[in-house]
Amino acid sequence: MRALTLALALAALAPRARAEEVRRDAPAWLGPPAPASPRRVVSLAPSLTDTVAAMGLADRLVGVTRYDDAPEVAGLPRVGGFLDPSPEIVLGLRPDLVLWLTDGGALPAVRRIADLGVPVRALPVVGVADAIAAARLVGEALGAPEAGRRLGSSLAAAVEGARRRAAGLRRVRVLFVVGREPLVVAGPGSYPDELLRLAGGANVAAGARPWPVFPLERAVALDPELVVDAAVLEPAQGISRLAAIPAVRRGAVRRLPNDDALRPGPRLARALDDLLGALHPEAASR
Amino acid sequence: MTGRRAAAALGLGALALAGAVALSCALGAQPLSLRAALGGVEPDRSILLGLRLPRAALGAVVGVALAAAGTALQALLRNPLAEPFVLGVSGGAALGGALVLLAASLAGRVWEPLAAALGGASPVTAGSVAGAAGATVLVFALGRVGGRLLPEAALLVGVIFNAFAAALISVLKVLVPPEQAARLLYWLMGALGYESPGTLAASAAVVGAALAALVLLSSRLNLLALGDEEAASLGVEVGRVRAAVLVAASAATGAAVALAGMVGFVGLIVPHAVRRLLGPDHRLLVPASALLGGAFLVLADAAARVAFLPLGSEPPVGALTALAGGPLFLWLLRREGRRGEVA
Repeated sequence: MRALTLALALAALAPRARAEEVRRDAPAWLGPPAPASPRRVVSLAPSLTDTVAAMGLADRLVGVTRYDDAPEVAGLPRVGGFLDPSPEIVLGLRPDLVLWLTDGGALPAVRRIADLGVPVRALPVVGVADAIAAARLVGEALGAPEAGRRLGSSLAAAVEGARRRAAGLRRVRVLFVVGREPLVVAGPGSYPDELLRLAGGANVAAGARPWPVFPLERAVALDPELVVDAAVLEPAQGISRLAAIPAVRRGAVRRLPNDDALRPGPRLARALDDLLGALHPEAASR
Repeated sequence: MTGRRAAAALGLGALALAGAVALSCALGAQPLSLRAALGGVEPDRSILLGLRLPRAALGAVVGVALAAAGTALQALLRNPLAEPFVLGVSGGAALGGALVLLAASLAGRVWEPLAAALGGASPVTAGSVAGAAGATVLVFALGRVGGRLLPEAALLVGVIFNAFAAALISVLKVLVPPEQAARLLYWLMGALGYESPGTLAASAAVVGAALAALVLLSSRLNLLALGDEEAASLGVEVGRVRAAVLVAASAATGAAVALAGMVGFVGLIVPHAVRRLLGPDHRLLVPASALLGGAFLVLADAAARVAFLPLGSEPPVGALTALAGGPLFLWLLRREGRRGEVA
């Protein structure tokens, strides 16, 4: 049951596969054409909500997911989750645009929403480049291309800044933990893996899958220098379950303050700062 | 069975199904004005006709299929515990559907259009029906001891096969890409969703044909319930009738699982209740169970949607049918036992 909860939480918060895998079956638009400047927008993913809010357009949102925690949308109706949006609640809000992070689980419900006459903008957002592109695309969909471009540029600048700061630094070998029981880590192709590279780290979790259930003994054998604890929904002291990993025993654990590093979107800049601080405390203050 | 009694029972069953669909259309997360909806006011109209009605229809198709299959399997095995879920037929269907999804995801690495074609509703349904048929054949073949079908052995085979299918599906989940695994997980939980009208119509046709076959076979089910030798001595071609019933029950279960995943206990609870009301005559039992199975699942889904509204979520209807089905079944079993002691 815990594994199930974790899987669903991951599904809700995190990008799930390499970009090309997601893009495959996802057209950019579903349903009828959207108005030039939509006024009643429903966001089906926290990162897309963040994107709209970061452009200063949060007042256009009329509905968000139950996972949304941005203060701008605290009072808005919830339309369900990432995998199980309720078409009925979405329709009841009479939106003129739905923003959707492409996802196989919600596809039937989203297709239904589009069939019933609501324009849906489908956005495959998996990696850093996608998050920057999504800012521009959301800006265009909302009829505010300038705001979208500005946000996109500022995110690109944040990425460039992190790359510069991390350029001369030694690569720290990191295990990025998103769940402890079972041990689930960020593998190659995942968003945190990309962030780690930008922030002067090297992901020790080599393997084919983006979010593997990782054998603990392999984590022990890989002997990471640092464990980044991103299981923010679980209590901090739970990391002691992983005490078999030498880094955990020596206390070389940095717990992230929030799930920014799991949300490809405008929180990118803050996530990079946090990671840089975790991996290279000496450089972060510069 | 008098004609009038049968007509009254089936009429009431149809009325119950219609009432359940109407109630399900009236209930939901969004307050709705029926007059506005029927007058074409949006979004009320779309919510009623585009969401609630198709979902109720989906629930009806799945409920009809599972209850009819359950009734037929109980007659065939001469055991009241026989049910698509318990017998492993649903598990086989889920395995078949999951294999098609896995094939679609593997094909996607080679040639995109093939993946899109395989991942569609019809191939998954075909896989589920094939899986259901395979499981049924397995259960009835391995349930034979010394040439005779032993109901208890068949049930045990079903239980074990269910566990085996569940294990295989867990392995498959690791092999498919994560977003496919999420889809698989959600499907297997046993939830009614939003299918396209085409998928709904195609599945309704499969289930309708299976139900028609079972109704046509129902008088011979009565004879089979007496025992194979007795039925044969009364002129029933036991082997052929059994094969036909198995095919029909597998088709119904496969279609139901392809649409809604593993919804358990509908095929156990509903035929039991109907048998208590109407007696053991399958000519009446099969169609009446089907109608009330549809009504039962539609109501269960409405309850799942409404009862958990304050939590901003809804449990899959399969959880609710199991919650309602388990205890009710145990109660029925105890009651039957007591009655047996008195008699």
